[in-house]
Amino acid sequence: MSAVVPGNIRSSVRGTRGTAIAALLALAASSPALAATHTVTIVGMLFEPATVHAAPGDRVVWLNRDIVPHTATAADRTFDSGRIEPGQQWSLVVGAAGAIDYGCAYHPTMQGRLEVQ
Amino acid sequence: MKQSLVVVLAGTLALAAIPAQAGPAPDDAQIAAIVVAANQVDIDAGKFASERAALGEVRTFAQQMVTDHSAVNAQATNLVTRLEVTPRKNATSASLEEGGARNLAALRKLDGPQFDRAYVDHEVAYHEQVIDALDTALIPNASNAELKALLVQVRPAFVAHLEHARRLQATLKR
Repeated sequence: MSAVVPGNIRSSVRGTRGTAIAALLALAASSPALAATHTVTIVGMLFEPATVHAAPGDRVVWLNRDIVPHTATAADRTFDSGRIEPGQQWSLVVGAAGAIDYGCAYHPTMQGRLEVQ
Repeated sequence: MKQSLVVVLAGTLALAAIPAQAGPAPDDAQIAAIVVAANQVDIDAGKFASERAALGEVRTFAQQMVTDHSAVNAQATNLVTRLEVTPRKNATSASLEEGGARNLAALRKLDGPQFDRAYVDHEVAYHEQVIDALDTALIPNASNAELKALLVQVRPAFVAHLEHARRLQATLKR
C-alpha cells in the first residue's frame, strides 16, 4: 500500500474540549465529504481498539491513558509517534487503503493494527 | 490470606521474601510504602544494568525498567500525596529494599554474558513476585478506591515487563 501521510502533528485537542470537538467532528463526518477522527486509547498496556478502521483522509488519534509512556510505531516504519507521555496524544492523517501492523517501541508485547478502507 | 513468597535462585542471588505478616493485613499507608519500595528496587537495578549489561537489548530493557517504574512511582506518590496518606515503612517494604541491595551487590561482581543472565533471571523472578504480591496482598487489602484502582492499572505494565524479561531470558539461553 502507499505510505500514510506521516504526521508529527501533536494535536492540541485534549480533555473535555477534545471530547466536544470529537463530537463535532463525528457530526461533521456524517457528511461524506468530511473526514472522521478515530481514537485509539492506550491503557493497561493495550491499544484499544486493537484494530482501528479508517477511511483514506481520516485522522487517527492515539491517546495515552496509561501510567507509562508509549509509542505507536509502524512495523514497516511508515509512521512513528515517538514518545507519547501519559495524558498526551499523537495523531496521523491516514493515506490510501491498506493495513499496517504497529506496536509500541518500548513494550514489545503491545500490538495494534490500522486498516484503511 | 497472604502467602509467604520465598523464591531462591541458584547461585549468588536470593530474592527477598515478601513475608506473610503475622498481624493484620497491610493498610493503605503500608501498601504505599511497599509499592514505592518495589518500584525503587527495580529502578536501582535498571540504572546499574543500563550501563553494565553486555547486550544492547538488555541495556534497553533495563532503561525501560527505569522509565516505567519511575512513572509508576510518580503516579503513586501523586496519589498518596493528594489522599494525604503518608507511606509507612514496614517489614515488607524493608525486606524488598534489603533484597534489592543484596541483588545489586551480587550483580556488581559480574560482567559480560554472566551479568546479563543474572540480571534478567532476577527480573523474571522479581516481576513474578511483585505481581503475586499485587494479587494476593496489595490489591485485596487496599481500602481507598483510587489506590486500589491504581494498583489494578499498574498490574498490566508489570505483566508486560515479565513477558519482555522472559523473552530476553530465552534469547540469552541460546
